[in-house]
Amino acid sequence: MIFLVMSLNFFIIHAAPGDPVTIMTGLENPSKEIIETLKKKYGLDKPLVVQYIKYFSNLLKGNLGYSYVYDQPTWHLIRERIFPTLVLTLTGSVVAFILGIYLAIWVSHLRQRFGETIVSTVNYILYATPSFWLALILILIFSSKLKILPTSGMYDLRASYHGFRKFLDLLRHLILPAGTLALIQLPIFYRVTRTSIIQSEKEEYVTTLTAIGVSKEKLFKKYVLKNAILPTVTIFGITLGFSITGAVLVEIVFAWPGMGRLMFDAIFRRDYQLLLGIYFLMAVLISIAMIITDILIAILDPRIRIT
Amino acid sequence: MDEVLVIENLTVVYTKNGKRIKAVDRVDLKVNQGDMIGIVGESGSGKSTLAHAVMGLLPSNGFIAEGKIRLLGYEITRLNDDEMRKIRWKEFSMVFQKSMNALSPVHKIGEQMKEAVIVHEPEIGETEVESRMKKVLDMVNLPHRVLKSYPHELSGGMMQRVMIALALINNPKFVIFDEATTALDVVTQGQILDEIKNLVERLSLTGMVITHDIGVVAEICNKIAVMYAGRIVEEGPKEKILYDPLHPYTKALISSHPELAEGGGRMRGIPGNLPDLSKEIKGCVFAERCPHAEKICFDDRPGFVKISGRKVACFKIKEVEE
Amino acid sequence: MKLKEFWKRYFEHPYGVAGFVIFAVLLFMAIFAPLISMGKPNEMSGDILSPPSLKYPFGTDHLGRSVYSRIVYGTRVSLSVGFVAAGLSALIGIFIGAFSGYFGGMVDEVMSKIIDSFLMIPVFFLILIIVAIFGSNLFYIMLVIGLTTWPRNARIMRAQTLSLKERAFVKVAKSLGEGDLRILMTHIIPNGMYPVVANSALQMGGAILAEAALSFLGLGDPNITSWGKMINEARTYMAFAWWTIVFPGIFIILAVVAFSFIADGLQYALYPKLKEVEESG
Repeated sequence: MIFLVMSLNFFIIHAAPGDPVTIMTGLENPSKEIIETLKKKYGLDKPLVVQYIKYFSNLLKGNLGYSYVYDQPTWHLIRERIFPTLVLTLTGSVVAFILGIYLAIWVSHLRQRFGETIVSTVNYILYATPSFWLALILILIFSSKLKILPTSGMYDLRASYHGFRKFLDLLRHLILPAGTLALIQLPIFYRVTRTSIIQSEKEEYVTTLTAIGVSKEKLFKKYVLKNAILPTVTIFGITLGFSITGAVLVEIVFAWPGMGRLMFDAIFRRDYQLLLGIYFLMAVLISIAMIITDILIAILDPRIRIT
Repeated sequence: MDEVLVIENLTVVYTKNGKRIKAVDRVDLKVNQGDMIGIVGESGSGKSTLAHAVMGLLPSNGFIAEGKIRLLGYEITRLNDDEMRKIRWKEFSMVFQKSMNALSPVHKIGEQMKEAVIVHEPEIGETEVESRMKKVLDMVNLPHRVLKSYPHELSGGMMQRVMIALALINNPKFVIFDEATTALDVVTQGQILDEIKNLVERLSLTGMVITHDIGVVAEICNKIAVMYAGRIVEEGPKEKILYDPLHPYTKALISSHPELAEGGGRMRGIPGNLPDLSKEIKGCVFAERCPHAEKICFDDRPGFVKISGRKVACFKIKEVEE
Repeated sequence: MKLKEFWKRYFEHPYGVAGFVIFAVLLFMAIFAPLISMGKPNEMSGDILSPPSLKYPFGTDHLGRSVYSRIVYGTRVSLSVGFVAAGLSALIGIFIGAFSGYFGGMVDEVMSKIIDSFLMIPVFFLILIIVAIFGSNLFYIMLVIGLTTWPRNARIMRAQTLSLKERAFVKVAKSLGEGDLRILMTHIIPNGMYPVVANSALQMGGAILAEAALSFLGLGDPNITSWGKMINEARTYMAFAWWTIVFPGIFIILAVVAFSFIADGLQYALYPKLKEVEESG
């Protein structure tokens, strides 16, 4: 399936107007010789099919291609960006997951329906909020007005912290961007968990267990919850893949040194190789996320174990 | 004569979409020590509601509008949820219908069975609980490994046996079987019925068997009460009811059963539908579908007539007997 | 599905009603923009970055343009993007889904694989790349969004088709000799398309968010006023002029929420069975 995606990408990118050589030379009308030399150097003169094949064989060898614009192998460019993106994405998603579940549990214990309506409405709003806008608003409030959190970046570049202080600095910078991501994703986790809890409470085992004497509290904490959480975990895995890519906008707003920004620049500079490289990596990360989720579910749900 | 269960003038109401539905309508019932009474009726007759009311397991939109229930000395109708929880499953229990989710699918069976014991005897030791569970599994012919299994790993018959074992775990004196064989295939059904019959004898159980299948009660009960639309229409010893039914509904029920129908098994279904239980029904509740109905059947509610050892709620009984 | 009954049910759902109301207001704004906008959206004045006042209800931006006017006109952009993109997506999705499900076989297998692949990849990126490379004309954007989001509708329609295919009235039609195409057009699609319609409401919201994101990144149509573009432009000045960024965002949220509500209302109206819980006696 990755194959399909990559092929699709390859063709789209190569079908685009504007070719890298022209951009590279930065000239309006590069001389024929220069074009020829460069083309030969980067193998752009061979027919498309050959390029295609060469690309995939390179991929399999672990070679992600060479960026013409930066004049470095794409892998070098990408690899230092993976960590920041992962940190941001994982933090955001995990926080959203935990908050979403707690919120759903809290709502389940409310007496009146009013609280649920409020929470539900807030969730609709969050779901409809553009991530970049929320990011900007948070910066406005916390950085500009209240001046308690930094506006951008991952670390304070002027100071050179080490060890624990560096970690704290990272956290400080992480709060707003991860917070944005968490708020954007919160509604999904809340909705799924809440629905799941409602479903589970209607199940027959609730009657059976109540009959044999299990207290309401224990029933909820031990039995209903464990059943209800399964769909949420599944969703977590699915959204993990998407949030890696959804983090792009947030990365751009916060000037977070992750893959998002890199990709954005690559698009504008028509750095196809880099683009393909990034896209490939993302596809791989998404697949890994899905596999991990599947494993997690198999651990939690005995019905799904492979016999 | 020991009265184990006394139900007096019981009315149970559900609220649904703003309407009040009378699922059980002024029912009187007595169960004595050693009795196994079968409550028979079609879907919607109120039999399951009756059972749940006795156990204090009515859903949140149901409540006891009128009447009294006294079980083993406990005034069930006067107890709240918490108090019910403490006494339920100690001396009386219920065998639920086996279903996909009768027990939590993500927890082991042993784990869940344990709950039934430790709630009522918190001081009990690990090994004691374990041995009790094993003992009760032996009673239903289940291997001990069931304790470590998950519900989906068991067959339908095994699961039903687990539910029976669960009901017996605290040595109850009174057990209600709620559609305990309904979801099973015919062969398994026969097996389970035999086992239940055995257990009832061995353990001298008193109880109720709720079912729509009159053949089931023929096997394991000594008394039968026939319910229709929330009311009991006929009640008496098994033999009388089965072989000499008096109420038109009872007759129809029996003749619609493949095995019990007489003479060459001419089966007849019962035309018509249950009445709307959200409306007050003045007369006999079966009048609309009754082939013998007269005007009085629609105007007044029939009281019980005692004939040859049983009670029948019908105006026309003296006539029909002839 | 009786229409009157459908509407009656729809309006029972509080969220559905709210969504409809908000949508109606927005529609009104879009259609009657010239009447209510109090001036032109591109008209620059000397009142740069002035806060909300009677003359400028939402304040002015860095070029002295009335934020309020720009938002009113921006409604046109957002609603059209929503309709066209989601409409296109629904159209393609319905046909492909119906065909695939109805005829089955190899075509269906291949189609299903394609649909599943599409659903696994982050679509926004695809849109991003395509728009960045091929151009950022508004119409293009709508087209691209439509062309990348149809798989979800196709999957829904396909599932519907598979179950409708087995229903009695379809089999009867077949045995009466009705042509496949006719069956598809008159029986299957009209009966099975409702979940797609509900999903389309959601997709309209998604399209608006996508267009906003594209505009924010600078990839939007440079010639038009869109809410996302306004946010992008406001970025530099937001610290001194909160109104330039807050109002466009609020309206985006309003529009998308409205569509979410509508989608929920549609869902409720189409599937009454989901709401009722039967208690057996």
